[in-house]
Amino acid sequence: MNKKIGVYICHCGGNISDYVDVEKVRKAIEGDDGVFLAKTTMFACADSSQKQMVEDITDQKLDGVVVASCSPKLHLLTFRAVAERAGLNKYNYVHANIREQVSWAHSDNKVGATEKAIKIVKATIAKVRNAEALEPVKVKSTKAVAVIGAGVAGMRAAIELAEAGAEVFLIEREFFVGGRVSQWDDLCITDETGKELITRLYNEVMKHQHVTLFTGAEIIENNGSVGNFEIKVKVTPRYFKLQCSGDELKKAIEVCPVEVPDGFNFNITKRKAIYHNYPSEYPQLPAIDMKNCTRCGKCEEVCKAIDFSQTTEYLTIKVGSILLATGFDPYEPPKGEFGYGEIDNVITLPQFKRVIHYNDDKLIWQGKEVKNIAYIYCVGSRQLNGDNKYCSRYCCTSTIHTAITAKKKYKGIHNFHFNRGIRTYGKAEVWYDESSRLGDIYLQSFEHDPPIIEHRNGQTFVKIKDLLTANKELEVAADLVVLVTGMTPRQDNSIGNLLKVPKGRDKFFNEIHMKLRPVETVIDGVTIAGASQGPKNIMESMNSALAAATKSFSLINSGELALEPTIAEVDDTACEWCGKCDEACPYSAFEKIEKDGKLIAKVIPSVCKGCGMCLPVCPTNALNLIGLTDVDVESMIDALIPNA
Amino acid sequence: MARINPEFTDELKKYGVFDANACYNCGNCTAVCTLSDEENSFPRKMIRYSVLGLENEIQASLDPWLCYYCGECSTTCPREADPGELMMSLRRWLTAKYDWTGLSGLLYKSLTASISAFVVLAGLVIWFGAYEQFKLEPIMHYGHLFEMFAIGFVFTFILLPNIIHMWWITMVKSGKKASLSAYFKALGELIVHMFTQKRALGCDDNQFRWFEHFILVLGYLSLLFTTVFLDWFSTQSIFIIILGYVESAIIFVVTFDFVRHRIKKDQAISKNSHPSDWFFVIWLFMMGLTAFITRLFIDINILDTNVWMYIVQLIVLVQWALIIVPFGKWTHFLYRSFAMYFHRVIELEG
Repeated sequence: MNKKIGVYICHCGGNISDYVDVEKVRKAIEGDDGVFLAKTTMFACADSSQKQMVEDITDQKLDGVVVASCSPKLHLLTFRAVAERAGLNKYNYVHANIREQVSWAHSDNKVGATEKAIKIVKATIAKVRNAEALEPVKVKSTKAVAVIGAGVAGMRAAIELAEAGAEVFLIEREFFVGGRVSQWDDLCITDETGKELITRLYNEVMKHQHVTLFTGAEIIENNGSVGNFEIKVKVTPRYFKLQCSGDELKKAIEVCPVEVPDGFNFNITKRKAIYHNYPSEYPQLPAIDMKNCTRCGKCEEVCKAIDFSQTTEYLTIKVGSILLATGFDPYEPPKGEFGYGEIDNVITLPQFKRVIHYNDDKLIWQGKEVKNIAYIYCVGSRQLNGDNKYCSRYCCTSTIHTAITAKKKYKGIHNFHFNRGIRTYGKAEVWYDESSRLGDIYLQSFEHDPPIIEHRNGQTFVKIKDLLTANKELEVAADLVVLVTGMTPRQDNSIGNLLKVPKGRDKFFNEIHMKLRPVETVIDGVTIAGASQGPKNIMESMNSALAAATKSFSLINSGELALEPTIAEVDDTACEWCGKCDEACPYSAFEKIEKDGKLIAKVIPSVCKGCGMCLPVCPTNALNLIGLTDVDVESMIDALIPNA
Repeated sequence: MARINPEFTDELKKYGVFDANACYNCGNCTAVCTLSDEENSFPRKMIRYSVLGLENEIQASLDPWLCYYCGECSTTCPREADPGELMMSLRRWLTAKYDWTGLSGLLYKSLTASISAFVVLAGLVIWFGAYEQFKLEPIMHYGHLFEMFAIGFVFTFILLPNIIHMWWITMVKSGKKASLSAYFKALGELIVHMFTQKRALGCDDNQFRWFEHFILVLGYLSLLFTTVFLDWFSTQSIFIIILGYVESAIIFVVTFDFVRHRIKKDQAISKNSHPSDWFFVIWLFMMGLTAFITRLFIDINILDTNVWMYIVQLIVLVQWALIIVPFGKWTHFLYRSFAMYFHRVIELEG
């Protein structure tokens, strides 16, 4: 029980004192039990006021401090630091909010506001009376990071972490690295190809001894928490020995009788069960897709490197942090959206990019030469009726860049952009300009008046009421309609479910705070990067990858983690394991242990966030929240309603 | 429903130098244009139609003729798309479209064709002179007959059908309904605009230019009358002789100034010169000058010994009357006036 409490009531210039009679508040609490010192101050946060508080605490040997001022979001940490400077444990400082909750909210009622302020300060004093000195929970951490996804973001983060001195496990689900970027040729602005970018990153990754790359690998289990994740990785074999001659491989692919749609080309072509996406792809070893392989054995006869004896491996890896860079899926329009899947010459932008890749002199689609190309923007993004309310950000730039590429590569191409406002932000604006100067035609409408696709007499038409032509109805006879599809969250969210990473409104992984904590998740130790977090272009993915790498590294660097002590605790004698707390906990912070012959719940300190969800469900009242115990709360209620 | 035709700008570019692709629809041209109002966004609508290749809409429109090329839009355009010159190009293109013979389009698009036509006609005149053994009297006699014949022929077979064609395209085919009385009531507008180009006064950049143009038109029309009907080259009337001198002097002095501006490119209107613009001002200049000198030669009695002077005058005249008047820039005199007239008719019909 603290007996020497100092209370400071802040004017906040006039923000508080214009509506709350601060002197009256001071007088009202002056005589309260344990209050040794009560002062008003013009600005509690000012340097001089802070110095005064430090002096008061040290000279008067105060054992508890209250500052009644603004929201704790603004200055809780400021005054906790004041306490620490004066040698007082920072949990013996308690903050009272009489600005946002009182003066600003009740500017119409000064008398009432003052009364409310008195009650709030009294309740805070009641809490500080019971406050105890707390020390942070220390946890040892493993100096290793698991990076999930070896696309551009994952590889960049892996390089950065390895350079900083961490052990890195780079885990890629596919058999080849590079993710989406490897599927693209010329990239916007730099005019490098996706393959060149991937090659550079891959070579750099391989240079680092401390990076271990797994391909065909997935995390299937996770135990542990920040500092000490224990993850189980399933590694699917490629069924290839390390050396494989090019000629033999060619033959093996030739003889393979299985043909499946090639996801790498967005299903516009077919591939065999033995495959690599393109020559000189990394790792430079083909793979057999066992889901589709019939084990006919024909390939074995022509290629010595094939080895069907390889089996799935399971590895357990210990890491201190997990960095998710699992990327996105392109939006797949449902059958019939702008004629997709119904009209032959309606394809998506990713497909179109692959079509350009495979056509050298003339642009041919379905055997016919393409001259007029209509691009329909915002397909699967900024939906009026649908879940994808967001802008996919990359598509305007990418489409315009692709349109220019097509125009320069083939003769006589005409591009028609059916857009809803062009968003080639930042440096990409120059492409918009170039495309326009090359004669591309832009037609615009609002979301409630989208373009209409019609197919009549063997010809496809795109119609629009064009905003830029005074809403005149216009139509284009298009040889090819390209649906500019946006980015969507990965359909397979197994890793997100496994780690309990929350998703935002748009179903991408969610950060804690989009501006202030943009790469951390509420799951301690799990950071996010790249398009797994939301639509991003390559530049933005790199930024977030480097930020996430730095954040992950900061968690594991010192080998020890200091965590907030304000977490739940279990009263071992009262607890009769019923599992209700475990069900209520959003972070899986409980484990079942046996102690003195009975089963009880135990809180994992590095997982618990002190949210308090478990407390009300406990039937034996065996749970308490350190720093906000039942005694604390009850004493505060008593102070707020003295006559109850 | 209008079908977009991306090839159209390539076609239109043969009629003038502009860069419609640079347009990013900012609307600055409309904001500065005095012709713009709430219903009609001048000149942006025509620019957009041109970019989209909406030929039918452009043909049906009178807008290009309502513009007198003050050039404000081109000066203001942040992308240097030169909307003023685009409007000028549309006028050339429309002239080609109205012309039932198709020769206008050929001459506008092909400099070679134009020069060939000039050379052929010059050759024919010289051949005719040689045929008459370069005797002044018969040559002058037939020269005068030619003038009268040319006026009748060009008007009856080229200009009149083309005006009717223009009326058909802009009024009838595009579905604009107008009563006879409206056509009658608006007649005044036709006369006023034909002889005064009143609307150009709306372009407040250069009133002096309007004045020059105004006296040029009057000078040209009255010289036409003086030579053809008052037979200037044969008359004895001192009044008519002096009148002719004044008229021809006005023509070559004003056109000289126009040529000077086109060389200096110091005004928006003189910045871009299509070959048809050069032909028009230079030939008009030569018409005035050769007529002046020819009459001077008569008055000082040396034309008999200098028949070549009359031959030169006749060459210029023939080229003017058979190329520039029916198929060249001269027609803007008619189309502009009739466009103003039709525009007024539509206004009257509300």
